[in-house]
Amino acid sequence: MKSISIYLSLILHRTDLLGPIHNFLLVFLGSSLILGSLGMVLLTNPIYSALSLGLVLVCISLFYILSNSHFVAAAQLFIYVGAINVLILFAVMFMNGSEYYKDFNLWTIGNGLTSLVCTSILVSLITTILDTSWYGIIWTTRSNQIIEQDLLSNSQQIGIHLAIDFFLPFEFISIILLVALIGAIVVARQ
Amino acid sequence: MMLEHILVLSAYLFSIGIYGLITSRNMVRALMCLELILNAVNINFLKGNIFSIFVIAIAAAEASIGSAIVSSIYRNRKSTRINQSTLLNK
Repeated sequence: MKSISIYLSLILHRTDLLGPIHNFLLVFLGSSLILGSLGMVLLTNPIYSALSLGLVLVCISLFYILSNSHFVAAAQLFIYVGAINVLILFAVMFMNGSEYYKDFNLWTIGNGLTSLVCTSILVSLITTILDTSWYGIIWTTRSNQIIEQDLLSNSQQIGIHLAIDFFLPFEFISIILLVALIGAIVVARQ
Repeated sequence: MMLEHILVLSAYLFSIGIYGLITSRNMVRALMCLELILNAVNINFLKGNIFSIFVIAIAAAEASIGSAIVSSIYRNRKSTRINQSTLLNK
């Protein structure tokens, strides 16, 4: 996937189409993300909402490719779409489907109040994002990064960070995954 | 321009996830909205460094344990509504 994207970027640099294709892909992925997340929350059939969660996760993986982090995009595609989404689909299909059709999505007062609160959270976050000068913050935190960062690929950067700075969290994450595996099997068995 | 677009999209996904988490009457839908919230936070880490990988690993562990708990609750109570925890007060 990395070689495909490098090849594509080389071709597009020659024909001077990289900027418009970036913009088009950004708009397309953003609109599919917005529609997919709305569909996930508002659809009543749980299988439909699980499938639109899969669409949202694939769009987020493509966003990672646009941000030049190829390893995280591949990890997102494997782990989220390939494992977590399938697990959620298993959980959805394991529950009995006959009780869902009595469960219509009535618009209660709690729903309206929650949508008001969430809209206010969204508006305050958007005004904070658009008012902050991001490039000043990015330029002042450049000192604690790896030297010759642009010559390394994303997986090499992650490997350097993992082996030097984040060695102890790496060991703890492996213990957490082991405990989660054993705990899930013990809780879910008959 | 691209940086602010991604941050605004992450804020949007976060607020939609919170709305879905609070107003869902079904436990599996609440788990799905929790994954949406974690993804929205994960896309905030631009220059996808190692911390995104840690968030993905933690989300995988939590999704597995969450679905195990939901399946055992379903086996005990035969229903997956969220507001049935008042049944203990009988």
